[in-house]
Amino acid sequence: MSANSVPRPGESSAAQQQFLSLFLRSEREIYAYVSVLVPNVADAEDIVQQTAIALWEKFADYDPARPFTPWACRFALNKARQWIERRQRWQALLENGLAEELAQRREELRPELEVRLRHLEGCLAKLPAPQRSLVEGYYLRRDGIDDLARRSGRSVAAAYKVLQRTRQTLQTCIENAAQPEGGAPV
Amino acid sequence: MIPFPSPEFDDAVAAVCHGSLAEDQARALNALLRQNPAARDEYILRVELHSRLASDRDLFAPPAAESIAVFPPPLLPRPARRRFAPALALAACLAALALGGWAFNHFSLRTGEGTTSHAVALLDRVVEADWGRGAPIPRLGGPLEPGRLRLVSGIAQIVFYSGARVVVQGPAELELVTPSQAVLRQGRLTAEVPPQAHGFRIDTPRVNVTDLGTAFGLVVRDQHTELHVFQGRVAMQSGPGAAARPLLAGAAAIWEHSALPELTNAQPAAFAALFDLPDRCLAAEAGRYRAWQSAGARMNADPALLVHYDLEHAAASRWELPNAGNLHDPACDATIVGCQWTAGRWPGKRALEFQGVSDRVRLSIPGEYPALTLAAWVSVKGLDRAINSLFMCDGFAPGTIHWSIRHDGVPGFTIVGAGPADCQIVAGPPVLTVDQFGQWLHLAVVLDGPAKRVTQYLNGTPVGEKTLKVKPPFRLGPAELGNWNNHGFREHDPALIRNFSGALDEFCLFGRALSPVEIRALFAAGKPQSDALVQNRPGLAFPDPQQP
Repeated sequence: MSANSVPRPGESSAAQQQFLSLFLRSEREIYAYVSVLVPNVADAEDIVQQTAIALWEKFADYDPARPFTPWACRFALNKARQWIERRQRWQALLENGLAEELAQRREELRPELEVRLRHLEGCLAKLPAPQRSLVEGYYLRRDGIDDLARRSGRSVAAAYKVLQRTRQTLQTCIENAAQPEGGAPV
Repeated sequence: MIPFPSPEFDDAVAAVCHGSLAEDQARALNALLRQNPAARDEYILRVELHSRLASDRDLFAPPAAESIAVFPPPLLPRPARRRFAPALALAACLAALALGGWAFNHFSLRTGEGTTSHAVALLDRVVEADWGRGAPIPRLGGPLEPGRLRLVSGIAQIVFYSGARVVVQGPAELELVTPSQAVLRQGRLTAEVPPQAHGFRIDTPRVNVTDLGTAFGLVVRDQHTELHVFQGRVAMQSGPGAAARPLLAGAAAIWEHSALPELTNAQPAAFAALFDLPDRCLAAEAGRYRAWQSAGARMNADPALLVHYDLEHAAASRWELPNAGNLHDPACDATIVGCQWTAGRWPGKRALEFQGVSDRVRLSIPGEYPALTLAAWVSVKGLDRAINSLFMCDGFAPGTIHWSIRHDGVPGFTIVGAGPADCQIVAGPPVLTVDQFGQWLHLAVVLDGPAKRVTQYLNGTPVGEKTLKVKPPFRLGPAELGNWNNHGFREHDPALIRNFSGALDEFCLFGRALSPVEIRALFAAGKPQSDALVQNRPGLAFPDPQQP
């Protein structure tokens, strides 16, 4: 650790601001890109954080004439690969080219995914209060599953099951809403 | 291979999302997804839905007006509507280092939006109150919502928002209905009703009492009911449809077996314990104050206690704040800049009030530490700044820390690492809510280098735990309580003004990680009023460092 590594006023702050402005605009896409490989929230966030650090370290190599997101996603893919290599069950899930296949297929499906997910907010608003509160606790407030289970008087396995069913409800809802003839506007 | 579609497929995808996938399940899912394009597309959609929920905070916008009526919003302030940032901590960190105040736009820190309360009364005072097991313990000074209060023993004073003041003695069961109505099912109470609260009503199984400008007492013991009027008069109504009859000061009505009461003289002596409440509170508070002083003396012998400002030994006319902790280094005495002296947790105990942008306490602590624990008793008056400083080391020197409360009630803790990207902002859930403003709160944070853990506490209870990513040792050096010296960075950036608005009654800092039991003990020893349950629970005394 050296005091020299802390920026002094004015020093390199323009580069940092430029980096942040690009990164913050792309981060949701980077997260989604990582997520298709490693959907578990905490792990995906870790990978995105590592990606951000790597991007900042290599930011001098970035060519501003080219789009930032694809450049960043290449780093994200690398970081995700390194992460997966160290974890046997994730390797088992993504081996034999499935990782690449998923990433590529997701790109092809993106317009269609967008059409469906546009209805997610409205579908969330329609959830009964107990399910909505569990979803908010898990995804928004990031309360631990142990905590959420205890508060709702369930076992951890049962709380996970409720989350799974609630996602299923949401999926049915967004698919109905995405039908050209179906679903009330939300 | 897993069939598709099938419940096994559903479970495997859910396990992937929850991070609980077993290896054989992973292999089976891999085989299916590589061979079945429909299963693969379905998998991608489900994962996308899951990751969108985790990443798009805007989805959880406040519900539309009509749904508020159906699902009353919780008392907690709604999470600020903001763009998601999985690396928000890092970004904010970089932004802070880069001095770009604009990055705070992404926090869009707002509080109070949608904050509503259904409270009808306030728990004002308690003496040896035991609320029993099972039910949540009402917070002293905190709001009370409609519902039943069971008091096993002890005395509690409840001030209704209408202005009526009720002192209830356990064992009792009181149901709060509205700001001007309650039901006494069991127990003994006195009610004082000021003119602006006329019409305040207490129902019992035998009689409904409506105040007409009074002080009165009620006793309900199964079938036995007594009503004593000490001042003014009340209207009493036995059962629905019965005529209301007045009862005047000095009179009492007693229901035994018949629906008709026996009239007699009021007996204020039977309610003496309730009338004595203010005196008993003073005595109990003096006792708590002394107990805290003894606990503090034991704590001061802890060799790892670097700094302890109990504000007991500071002269009001002076600016020095002596360190009562173990490290008897005059360098660890602090200097008060600005600030006002104000009332602390107990009568006679003082606290320092921070209000202006210059108010601060300057200190400097030498050394390097593998772990740190910070704890403070504070009364928050408002969260006026994006970041409100509790304790902040000057600038952004490597290995230093910033402890704060964010505008939205999130306790924040930043650990500055070696490089610009090597810095961690630990943000817990938004635990500080507007209804806690003005109350004495115990905040603590434990930075445990060897265990790679940061834990934040509110009132002795952990409210957030994160993996520590910055490596020890940690340093402090020049630092401030209640403010921040940004060390020459752009002074006019509003994001860099971080003065605290509120009062500080005690601060301690240890060069080691305190255990959850020790934090709980710190809180128990210093809480303004005791509750019998916590006091009687074994194993909570602060360990005597002299004992093995």
